[in-house]
Amino acid sequence: MASTGVQDDSDDGMDEFMDKFKTQRYKNAFSENNWEEEFNKVPMFMKTAPEEIDPQQYPELACLQAIIHDEDRSPEEQAQSLKDEGNVFFKEKKYEKAILAYSAGLKKKCGDQELDMMLLTNRAAAHFHLGNMRSAFNDAAAAKKIKPDHLKALIRGAQCCIELRNYAEALQWCEEGLKAHPTDKKLLELRAAADKHKRAADRDARKAKAKEKKLLGAKEALLAAIKDRGIKLLQPVKSGQRGSDSEDEDKGSSAAISQLSLDGLSSQEVTGAQVFLDEQGSLHWPVLFLYPEHQQSDFISAFSENNCFSDHLVVMFGEELPPWDTDRKYQPQNLQLYFEDEKNETLYQVHPETSLLKVLQHKRFFVKGGTPSFIVLVNGSSFRKQFLTGKKTQGL
Amino acid sequence: MLSDSEATELLSFLSPRTRPDVKGQATGYILGLSGHRDGCHFCRSKPDLLKALFTLTSDPSIAIVKDCYHIFINLSADETLHQVLVSDVNLLPALLKNLQDPEYPFADQICTILSNLSRHEKTCKTVFKVLQEELSLAQLVEIFCTEGFNKQAKLHYLGPLLSNLTQLPEARNYILDKDRCVVQRLLPFTHFQASVVRRGGVIGTLRNCCFDHTHHEWLLSEAVDILPFLLLPLAGPEELTDEENEGLPVDLQYLPEDKEREEDPDIRKMLVETLLLLTATKTGRKMLKEKSVYPIIREFHRWEKDVHVGAACEKLVQVLIGDEPEKGMENLMEVEIPEDVQVKLKEADMREEQELEKEQERIRQEEEEEEKKERKAAEETEGEQVTGLIR
Repeated sequence: MASTGVQDDSDDGMDEFMDKFKTQRYKNAFSENNWEEEFNKVPMFMKTAPEEIDPQQYPELACLQAIIHDEDRSPEEQAQSLKDEGNVFFKEKKYEKAILAYSAGLKKKCGDQELDMMLLTNRAAAHFHLGNMRSAFNDAAAAKKIKPDHLKALIRGAQCCIELRNYAEALQWCEEGLKAHPTDKKLLELRAAADKHKRAADRDARKAKAKEKKLLGAKEALLAAIKDRGIKLLQPVKSGQRGSDSEDEDKGSSAAISQLSLDGLSSQEVTGAQVFLDEQGSLHWPVLFLYPEHQQSDFISAFSENNCFSDHLVVMFGEELPPWDTDRKYQPQNLQLYFEDEKNETLYQVHPETSLLKVLQHKRFFVKGGTPSFIVLVNGSSFRKQFLTGKKTQGL
Repeated sequence: MLSDSEATELLSFLSPRTRPDVKGQATGYILGLSGHRDGCHFCRSKPDLLKALFTLTSDPSIAIVKDCYHIFINLSADETLHQVLVSDVNLLPALLKNLQDPEYPFADQICTILSNLSRHEKTCKTVFKVLQEELSLAQLVEIFCTEGFNKQAKLHYLGPLLSNLTQLPEARNYILDKDRCVVQRLLPFTHFQASVVRRGGVIGTLRNCCFDHTHHEWLLSEAVDILPFLLLPLAGPEELTDEENEGLPVDLQYLPEDKEREEDPDIRKMLVETLLLLTATKTGRKMLKEKSVYPIIREFHRWEKDVHVGAACEKLVQVLIGDEPEKGMENLMEVEIPEDVQVKLKEADMREEQELEKEQERIRQEEEEEEKKERKAAEETEGEQVTGLIR
């Protein structure tokens, strides 16, 4: 801006004022470098709205803003200005600010339904771009209430439904929209998309159901196989516990099978191995061998019920003895096997040549935690004598 | 038939001011007439009678209105009556107006009449013309697709009406408008369990629409995706391998065990014919092959007992597993068939028809034989029981 001259009350003051320009240089003129910056400070020529309007820096703009928000103006005018303000922010992708402006506009309750509807639709758009689908949807729905055939609201609402995966509702919105605007390309597109997603979701539900059914069938077959063999599963004491594959709600399970609930099969081993039925109809069990003498154990993940114990013992102890067997006495032919009946506190001896199945069918054998376990002692050892002292035993 | 003077007397009984019981007798009598051909022909020569009857459809007595509508349903079933009904009685505008009224209690009767009138091309054209003037095909589809539009009428017969209308290219073009959502709205009704009439009407409409091969690519594209809707009624609960499942259209994957096939053989035949129409173009054939249509049709063919449907099925299978036709013949609808070949094909078709009829007869006879045997066996055991008792 050119510098101001001296204020002069005389009539001739104007002439003097004007004369000055002939002699004084024009100071603070716009230069090549700063003219854009300077222009940007003038409210009329501003390209972007400043973040905070500092009255010191932009006195004119602060003035205008005060005018806009002047409470003396009618609510409609204020709401309109707030809408415009919001639109400016929206264009600059400053969506949070836009939302604030639109919300302020709505708070005015100006009574102009058309305006309110536009504020809602615009706010819905801002929310949408921020990813607030629920808020965007609510705003679109509110706009639709005011004007049920408002195209922008209908499109926005349908889009939100799709993002929220509510495809049935999306289709409804599209169909309502197409009633009023039968050739709108965006609505047609959205409808096709919503329909496609819905059908895919239906398919996924069917697939999941089929899979679940298959799994359930397999579980029932397994439990039936165990029951048919007369093998007893020990129920866990904690009845309130729900395992990850607890099937408390399975429909259609017979009462007998539900007695042998799957909790009885959940393995307490970290390995997560579980008994399974193979294609030939044989069961394979995870089995624990315990060596109390040395506080050791061996875990066999899949012991076929038709195999006998010596099959495994020969493999485990035949070639090499385990490192913890310091006395080198755990040779297959010296080993004795027992299982414990906890209730009766009795140890039953098992002949190594017996099949696993036969042992599991013993009337006092209860499978605990889905994993049959057996105690291994060395015949004639002092530990064995010690271990069995005071315990009830049943020989072969 | 009635003499002229008797007819005039009858007409006088049909005035709105006539005593209800006399009116009722008159309408009842004409209803009887309309039930057979001679009666219909008589009515054809008496337009005044028909006009009076139509006026009575606004009568305060529901019984009279019902009778009148019933008469028109019967009359409209006879093609020779169409001209007089549409021109002299001019019932179309009023019928179409009442159809749009969600409270009108006789909307179903209107639908049946319209369906009858649109069966043959000549009157169909008139129906379509008046339809476009009164409410437009768009609104008709809208009414048809809106569940519970009319609380007192099911409007299922709009299905056959639409099907009849689509024998006209103008109607087809409207339904197949790419810039609107019309045909897409009809698709879900291909498995509408509650009404075989509605279902059949929609499928008939789709079949007619497929006669224009220019629309095939669009119909098979995602914008419409007609294929799953045609296949779903033919698919059964048989378990397919995971691999086969994954190749199918989404709507046909992992169908539940209680999935039932379309129970009406005529509708099944229409579905197969529609699929066959879609194989006319190279793109169509390619798409049907890619979307694993064959496994579905294979299982369907195994299950199908009706000989006519089975024959249509075989034709479809031939195309699905056959080689591509040679150059110049890729669009089966545009292939020029020389005269003499056409004659031979016609003869072959007739022979095939006869064969099928014979086959059906044979099956029927076998079934009768079986029944006879069973009855005889039952009687014999009964006889034994009786003799047992006597002893």
